[in-house]
Parts: sequence; C-alpha cells; structure tokens
Amino acid sequence: MSVDRSKVLLEVQGLEKSFKNNHVLRGITTDIYQGEVVVIVGPSGSGKSTFLRSLNLLEQPTGGRILFEGTDITDKKVDINRHRQKIGMVFQQFNLFSNKTVKQNITLAPINLKLMTKAEAEKRAYELLERVGLPDKADSYPAQLSGGQKQRIAIARSLAMNPDIMLFDEPTSALDPEMVGEVLELMKELARNGMTMVVVTHEMGFAREVGTRVMFIDEGVIQEENTPQEFFRNPQNQRLRDFLSKVL
Amino acid sequence: MTFMEKFQFNFLENSRWQFMVTGLKNTLLISVFAVILGVALGFLIAIVRSFHDKTGKLKILNFLCRVYLTVIRGTPAMVQLLIVYYVIFASVNIDKLLVAVIAFGLNSAAYVAEIIRSGIMSIDEGQTEAGRSLGLSFTQTMRLIILPQALKNVLPALGNEFIVLLKETSISGYIGLMDLTRGGDIIRSQTYEALFPLLAVATIYLLIVCFLSYLVDRLERRLRVSER
Repeated sequence: MSVDRSKVLLEVQGLEKSFKNNHVLRGITTDIYQGEVVVIVGPSGSGKSTFLRSLNLLEQPTGGRILFEGTDITDKKVDINRHRQKIGMVFQQFNLFSNKTVKQNITLAPINLKLMTKAEAEKRAYELLERVGLPDKADSYPAQLSGGQKQRIAIARSLAMNPDIMLFDEPTSALDPEMVGEVLELMKELARNGMTMVVVTHEMGFAREVGTRVMFIDEGVIQEENTPQEFFRNPQNQRLRDFLSKVL
Repeated sequence: MTFMEKFQFNFLENSRWQFMVTGLKNTLLISVFAVILGVALGFLIAIVRSFHDKTGKLKILNFLCRVYLTVIRGTPAMVQLLIVYYVIFASVNIDKLLVAVIAFGLNSAAYVAEIIRSGIMSIDEGQTEAGRSLGLSFTQTMRLIILPQALKNVLPALGNEFIVLLKETSISGYIGLMDLTRGGDIIRSQTYEALFPLLAVATIYLLIVCFLSYLVDRLERRLRVSER
C-alpha cells in the first residue's frame, strides 16, 4: 500500500456540474495518484456522489476537464466505453444484473467486450469468487443473496475487468449493519493489494484506517483534504468541524 | 330438427364447413404475419423512443414515432383497415390478405411499442449504469441486460396484445376478405340459422385464445427462474 506520486491516474480540473438551476459541483480540482485510497466525506446533497459519478462520466460534467491516464475523457471524440473498462465502479444499490447468475454477472463484460474467451472469463470468475469468499455462489441468482454477498459479487464483477482504479459510491449504505463489516474487510484487502480507490462513504473508521487521503466536499467544492490523521485530529474548515462533530 | 340434423344442415350440407376452414386459415395467416410485422415495427419504435428518453438524441425520429402512436391509437382499427384498403392501396392490385396484414400489423405496432417501452422503463436505471460502467456500449447494455429483463416483464401484456389482435382481425370482412367471422356469417346467410355457425365461430376463437394464453403462461414460467 504505497502511493506512487510519479503516476497520476486521474486529473480533475475545474469540474462543474449543473442540473437545470442546481449548481451541484462548483469547480473541483484534484489529482489522484496510483495506489491512493481517497475517501470522500460530506453531508448529503454536498455533491460528493455526483463528483464520483462524474469520474467515469455517468454524470456528464457541464464544465472542466477530467484526464484519465493522460486522456481527456470529457472530450466528445474520446471513446468513453474503452476508458470505462479500466475504471471499476461499485454502487450503493449493488446493481447486479438480476436476470443473470453470479458467474454470468462477472463474465458478461469481459466476454462481450472480447477481452477474454468464455473459458478464461469463467476461470477468472472462480478465482474472484474465491477471493471475495463466495466460491459456492457461482450459479446463484442475485435475488438469492444477502446484501453483503451482493456487494462482494459486485466488487468481483468490477475486478474481472482488471481496472486501474475503482470508484465506490457509498458501498455499505444500503447494507444491514451486520453486513457492513464483510464489505469493508474486502475493500481493505483491495487497498492492501495496491488498488487505487476513490470511496464515498460515511464509514469514518474506514477513512481513518485505510484512507491515504480524506476529502471533505460541501456545497460542490473541496472544502478541505488531508491525511486521515490531520483530517480528523486537526480540521481547519469550520464546516468540516461541524460535520465531524455530528458524525463522530 | 334434432341437434344432429341441425349440425348436418349447417356444416355438412354443401360442404359449408369449408367456409369456416378457409376463414380460419385466413384469420390465422393475417394474425401471425400481423404479429410479426407489429412486433418488429413496435420494437424499433420502442428502441427509438427509449434511446431518445435516455440520451436526448434522435429528436426528429422520436417526434415521428410519437405522431404515429397518436394517430394509430387515436383512430379505430376498422377505419384504419378501410383507409389502407380503399385509400392507400386503392389504385394497386394487391392481395387483400396482404392489405389486412399491413393494416393490422401497423395498428398492433403502436401498442407493442408502448408495451415494450414501458418494459424498458420498468428496469431500474442502475442496471444501465452498471452495464455502462463496465465499458459496455449503449447498444450492448440494451441487448444483453435491459431488453431480456424488459421483455420478461411485459410478456403478459404482449400476450394480451396478441389476443386482442387475433380477435380484431374479425373485422377483415369489411374489405371483402373471408376470415373466420365472415365464414361463419356466410353460413348463417345461407341457412338462416344464427346459433350454430356463430357459436362455432366463437368457440374456435376461444380455443385459439386459450392455446395462446397457455403458451404465454409456459414461457413466463420458464423465464421466471431468476426470481426464485
């Protein structure tokens, strides 16, 4: 788990996003380096999820640029599908394909994007299922799984694409409390193995323990960002202090 | 006359049963090909409309589709049939069966389009987002993830539309086509007996509809595996 400052994966420059009259992101600039675990916190409606979803263009930014591995992916001429293959995403609501088995969920994209043969993809699926601790669920349907299991499968599905970076949009917020641990544990394991991650979460323990950088977003801008130690021990911004006093 | 005598008189004498057989054949021909045309065209319209809803593109095509839906759904099928026959194909020598297939197919397409579109809309946006986030294109996401689920959800409604279409073809007689209904009616006009021929016609429709429902039911059950 070490940050490589020489390799910048994502460069976000003056990112803005408006929905009609609602100016959600008001100019966000930051760089995300290889091996970083950036944890984004902030009150609801602050724009943190919109920011995360902009990073793979699930939200189309209305201003600014995003460079992924040196390519401006906000450029209309860029084939976004090709870059999304390298940006994994895990959703709050899991979003497993409900008409597909677990194995099909994991192998669908690699096979149809012609990145692997069926046999290769299935072999990889079994390895990943082993890794997320659900080797016996290959032929189950999502409806037969618990929330925690679904999220672990969703992470495995993302990993099957061998992403360079993974985005987590409140991955534990829809889980029953007793299942939060298993998902966080898996995410910690990913971080230990050097995965670059951007995580929107309310799990302050995770931010403190696993994050290499914690970012506080409110009113559509980064109000403060720092190492977890400084962020929690010595917050500068008044809004952040208010926020922390409420959540800690 | 006894029951058997009446039966003999209405159906066997002068081989009157042949009216029913020819009629049934035509009804089935019209229905099957109209369903194919309706599903193909309806599917295209649904895709255009959904693509527009999700991306804001294809404005003109979407507008044309909406006009089409409004006109078709806003006028009686019978008037449409008459217009297709007496106006559109007025100066062309064309098989009436083909006219009926086109008229009923165009009509059904409007309903099929809205049924399929409602199916696409019923699928959670998260399914699309998950597909796109893995790098699948809009088309791949649609084909591999959204449509299979959408079609499963609207299967009962689609089955219903096929049943409606089958029964709607009973107005084909108005362009001088002998469908099942007209076949029975011809017998009635020859024998001056209404009960037997019309009851026979009704029973045949009923049996076909029951068979269709049975097929849809079976298909539904087969597709429901993932909801266990």
